[in-house]
Amino acid sequence: MVIGVAAATFLLLHAVPGSPAREVLGEHATPAAVAALNHRWGLDRSLGSQFVRYVGDLVTLRLGVSFVYGISVISLIGDHLAETAALVGIATLFAVLITVPLATLAASRRDRLADQAVRGLSVLGLGMPAFWFGIVLIEIFALRLGLLPVGGAGSGLWGHIESLILPGLTASFAIVPLLVRSLRVGMLEVLGADFVAAARANGLGELRVLLWHVARNAVIPTLTLLGLNIAYLVGSTVIVENVFALNGLGSLLLSSISSRDFPMVQGITLVLAISVVLINLATDLLAARLDPRIRLG
Amino acid sequence: MTTEPEPRFTRRRLLRNGAAGSVLLAAGPLLATAPARAAARLASAHAAGVPKKGGTLTFARSVAPTQLDPANSIIAGDVYTLDKIMEPLYLTSPAGQLIPWLAESHTTSADGLTWTFNLRPGVKFSDGTPLTPADVVFSIKREAANTNGPLSFLDAAIKTIKASGPNKVVFGLSAPWAPFLSDISVFANAIIPANFGGKSEKAFFAKPIGTGPFVLDSFTPSSNLTLKPNPHYWQVGKPYVDAVQINYVSADNQRVLQIQSGEAEIIDQVPPANVSALKRASGVKVELYPAWEVDLLVFNEKLPQFADRHVRRAITYAINRPALVSATSFGTAKPGGSFVPPSLEYYDPNTPVLAYSLANAKAELAKSKYPHGFHTKLLISGGVQKWSEFAAIIQQSLAPLNIKVTIDSPDNAAFHTQFESFNYDMFIDYAINDISDVDEMASFELNYKDGGSSSYWSSYNNPAVTALVNKAEAEFDTTKRAALYAQIQALVAEDAPFVPLDYPPYIYATSTKVNGFAVNPGGAYRLENVWLS
Repeated sequence: MVIGVAAATFLLLHAVPGSPAREVLGEHATPAAVAALNHRWGLDRSLGSQFVRYVGDLVTLRLGVSFVYGISVISLIGDHLAETAALVGIATLFAVLITVPLATLAASRRDRLADQAVRGLSVLGLGMPAFWFGIVLIEIFALRLGLLPVGGAGSGLWGHIESLILPGLTASFAIVPLLVRSLRVGMLEVLGADFVAAARANGLGELRVLLWHVARNAVIPTLTLLGLNIAYLVGSTVIVENVFALNGLGSLLLSSISSRDFPMVQGITLVLAISVVLINLATDLLAARLDPRIRLG
Repeated sequence: MTTEPEPRFTRRRLLRNGAAGSVLLAAGPLLATAPARAAARLASAHAAGVPKKGGTLTFARSVAPTQLDPANSIIAGDVYTLDKIMEPLYLTSPAGQLIPWLAESHTTSADGLTWTFNLRPGVKFSDGTPLTPADVVFSIKREAANTNGPLSFLDAAIKTIKASGPNKVVFGLSAPWAPFLSDISVFANAIIPANFGGKSEKAFFAKPIGTGPFVLDSFTPSSNLTLKPNPHYWQVGKPYVDAVQINYVSADNQRVLQIQSGEAEIIDQVPPANVSALKRASGVKVELYPAWEVDLLVFNEKLPQFADRHVRRAITYAINRPALVSATSFGTAKPGGSFVPPSLEYYDPNTPVLAYSLANAKAELAKSKYPHGFHTKLLISGGVQKWSEFAAIIQQSLAPLNIKVTIDSPDNAAFHTQFESFNYDMFIDYAINDISDVDEMASFELNYKDGGSSSYWSSYNNPAVTALVNKAEAEFDTTKRAALYAQIQALVAEDAPFVPLDYPPYIYATSTKVNGFAVNPGGAYRLENVWLS
């Protein structure tokens, strides 16, 4: 998958019109100046030889030097990775914290008002664009109530955490509706199982039954769905970072695409692809731990 | 608390400033000693009240710094960062005038070929070493020799640069060149220590040393940066603030929110739609600064329909520019007329503009080879609301002429590639002047052969106009020069190689605590005069 992403990025970047040299040099650039830069960057070679060189660099883990910043792509990614990782982490946390109670509520009150409300809300949530939801949150919690900053990375540890609350909530809403629906269906299936009846018959409280026996068994498909959707979450950070002025990998990716900074775009997409693969691997491992029936291999 | 732009920059004031500036330029040897006072006056003019020291100024900016080498910079995020650290010999004031900066004065020989700059005494770099003529020679030679750099063309007139005595630098030019003082004031000609102060070029620009009010404290490319005061700054007592924190905030809406919430004290690029709401917001003031900028609708004269002068004139007549501006700019921009923006010296308010008239438009088209109209495409940079609005209005405006317009809006880099390879019918873009001399714009937009862009990629080629542009470059008498530019503006308005749609200002919002902030028409702002109350 990572190789596919790398190849697709390379081909797309070279297929769209736009000249990195022109973007760096400005409108007064002479053809000679553009040619000189293209030569320095190796863009005057054939596409095939550029691709061979690019793949060679990837294999040896050389991501090259940014056209725009003139410093190594790896160090720039290092500067911006933490911000995005923290955002994805907090968004995942929020997603779990919101999903579990809502799904439990809906499953235990099947077809009653609470269930209808949760399902209705999740449909609404699916249709809501992240940037709009983010702006609504800023308007309420930052501007009106003054509880949280409107944007930016904040200073100090607490300032930083504080600055990630609204963006994390916004990003989590991109996946919460899906997770709630999945967990609810999973729980309903498990609720009809024999071991649940047995647990109830043993006199366990309803909450204990729901959270310990039902949720634990229903969580596996949801976890897999979460793993898959973290890829989507990582993608949505591009928009969320922009709305909240967080300068993570997403905003760096956007500006690098605008300036046709090929090494930078290739480097970031590669890092994002690798992290998605790693996250999926981690969720598979976790699922195996939660359910002994799943075997790796 | 709001401030209207008009009192700051009336036309009369502009002309007066322009005239004063040019007398200094032309009569260099006689008047060249006045400048220190001018600099002092400039400084005090900004800050009403007694400046207070201290505080951190937080600036939410739409553009990100990427690197800080003046010779290789053109992106606003780089330019408006490095100019706080490194300074040129002359500088453009907020009123658009050239003022002596690291040079205290200059003289010009009678033939216009030899320019001698007297360096300001007592100037030190931020590492404490004094500024010497050798530093100036090194810096400007480096920029002039960097022929692949974005702005090195501005130094094309320089033939020789020599240090002379302890505080003079002498430039020999290859031809008399009236715009020279403007050229020397560009940020690309900023002065750095000779031989990078003994460091490698790369190491030097990672932590540049200059004579500017600030030094680089920390820098995360494409994110944020902190400036700290230069302890050796030559304007004793400045800068007033303890630190400047510049944050990259690309989303317009987020910048507006940050100024409203008080998280930022200055924001740039305020969307015109937000101006009136911000003016009403408490603790916020909005300022509009005239810019050396004009938005142009450009015709591709490589195509037969736009090589036809009547077609270009018909389209110009058909666009109601005052209506276009009032529909899109929320009262912030001025309708276009001459291709020279009113904030630029030698703008002629009496330029014969082809003002909106559908009857005239139809009459012109009837005289053309395309009396029944045609299909055409309009290229704009995608994702920019203003350009989409402009394009839609132009599309509607040309419908009565039976000119059917399809709008094409690729992303910005693709847009550049398309029009610069003449792969377009019409396009809209902004044209700016980097320096205070109108020659940059005039030659770039009108000198087909030597201007560097085939007349802003229009392929407009009027030998009479080119001859006038060249003549004005060598004309030191400001009255005669003004007459030449008036002629040029009239010819261009009649030929209509492009439609100057509007003159947009720079729009900034600041906290009411911010004093002494001002932007020059080139878009640069100094921060040494800024203080927080």
